[in-house]
Amino acid sequence: MAKKVLVAMLALFLLFALSACSDEKPGIETVKEGKFTVGFDKDFPPMGFVGDDGEYTGFDLELAAEVAKRLELELVLQPISWDAKDFELESKNIDCVWNGFTMNGREDLYTWTEPYMANRQVFVVRADAGISTLADLAGKVVAVQTESSAEAALKDKPDLVDSFADLIIVPDYLTALMDLEAGAVDAVAMDEVVANYQLEKKGVNFVILSETLAEEEYGVGFLLGNEKLRDMVQEKLEEMAADGTLARISEAWFGKDVTTIGK
Amino acid sequence: MEWSVMLRELAEGMLTSVEIFTLTLLFSLPLGLLVAFGRMSKNFLLRNIIKIYISIMRGTPLMLQLMVVYFGPYYIFGIRLPQSYRFTAVIISFVINYAAYFAEIYRAGIESIPLGQYEAAKVLGYSNAQTFVRIILPQVIKRILPPVTNEVITLIKDTSLAFVIAVSEMFTQARAIASAQRSVAPYVAAGIFYYIFNYVVAAVMEWFEKKMSYFR
Repeated sequence: MAKKVLVAMLALFLLFALSACSDEKPGIETVKEGKFTVGFDKDFPPMGFVGDDGEYTGFDLELAAEVAKRLELELVLQPISWDAKDFELESKNIDCVWNGFTMNGREDLYTWTEPYMANRQVFVVRADAGISTLADLAGKVVAVQTESSAEAALKDKPDLVDSFADLIIVPDYLTALMDLEAGAVDAVAMDEVVANYQLEKKGVNFVILSETLAEEEYGVGFLLGNEKLRDMVQEKLEEMAADGTLARISEAWFGKDVTTIGK
Repeated sequence: MEWSVMLRELAEGMLTSVEIFTLTLLFSLPLGLLVAFGRMSKNFLLRNIIKIYISIMRGTPLMLQLMVVYFGPYYIFGIRLPQSYRFTAVIISFVINYAAYFAEIYRAGIESIPLGQYEAAKVLGYSNAQTFVRIILPQVIKRILPPVTNEVITLIKDTSLAFVIAVSEMFTQARAIASAQRSVAPYVAAGIFYYIFNYVVAAVMEWFEKKMSYFR
């Protein structure tokens, strides 16, 4: 009896699933119909964060909003846990990850747009700590965000990591910078774009080492194989580059045009 | 990643979890008894200070308490934090939080003992301390074992909160591996680890309860 009920329920489910498929309008296939769902880490200023008015804002999110508008889709901002981004994509909760998402080292794991801006991984230290080169980091405690590209870049430099007293894995950059300010860590390895913004905004006594850890590029990452949506977003990005929208948004956030599309 | 490598990484994280668990119990169980005495004190000031302490510990998230204990010394008093303070802060937060809960369990146990027993002890010439240690406490322990087991099991699962101040315990390891390997297997493994740990704790407590069920 129970088995029969189960079979009937499964059949019903399948029926629903099938009819849901056939109902879909030809055109833009997204995880939620008529909506463009962007996954982002909400502790990642200036790319995506909670603004002064309590709403999500940021450079990347503004770009995403513009793309969604041009695709005639409603933008849904979905904050995600950074180390769960793959599960969010695979379980179809989000259409893409758009949040200072480093392409280098992840080229084969996602379907990417062309890189839209360049970034470097750098070390942030306290200005009074007497650290000015990578060699000075020997015997120091360094913090890095879990599953970040800085962590990946450090894995490529085992000699450098071995010279540290300890490498601490933190949940997010903001905690890492608080740790740095409080003195529990001596350096934080992180994205230059984010570091610059933090230094400017917080006015704390930090400096960025001129020696960098890695050079890299940001792109928008889609679930592997989702070329259709990727191509549409790519097209709109190029359109925005051509009509100067990208440059305008970039100047508003960084004071200069940092974008690389169409150049 | 090989299963053996994954399990080793998880086991390493488990070690941190077990450390947090053991140290927390070691300090919070006795501290809880002291807090319970303060809570039942005849001294108006002491009683109310303890009441406020318990109310704050129960009324705010442990995650927030961890951050306050860890970052507080610097952001409130300007003291530079040494690297070793990270783990100490985890233990301090867990101990003061759990002591508050244990105190209330102790109080419930102590107050459940009929007044007549105190009177009888007095008639028999027991001092106050003797009465408590020899007559009241053994009965209290028997009565509070089930709620204490509850708290202890919650504690095991709460150890995963330590990551907010970057102490990598087991769940953090599981998340990192899951993310790097794009697989849910580490979560499953972590779940099994937690379950086994809790099963052992529950079994030990049950055995202890049986041991304590004399005079029944």
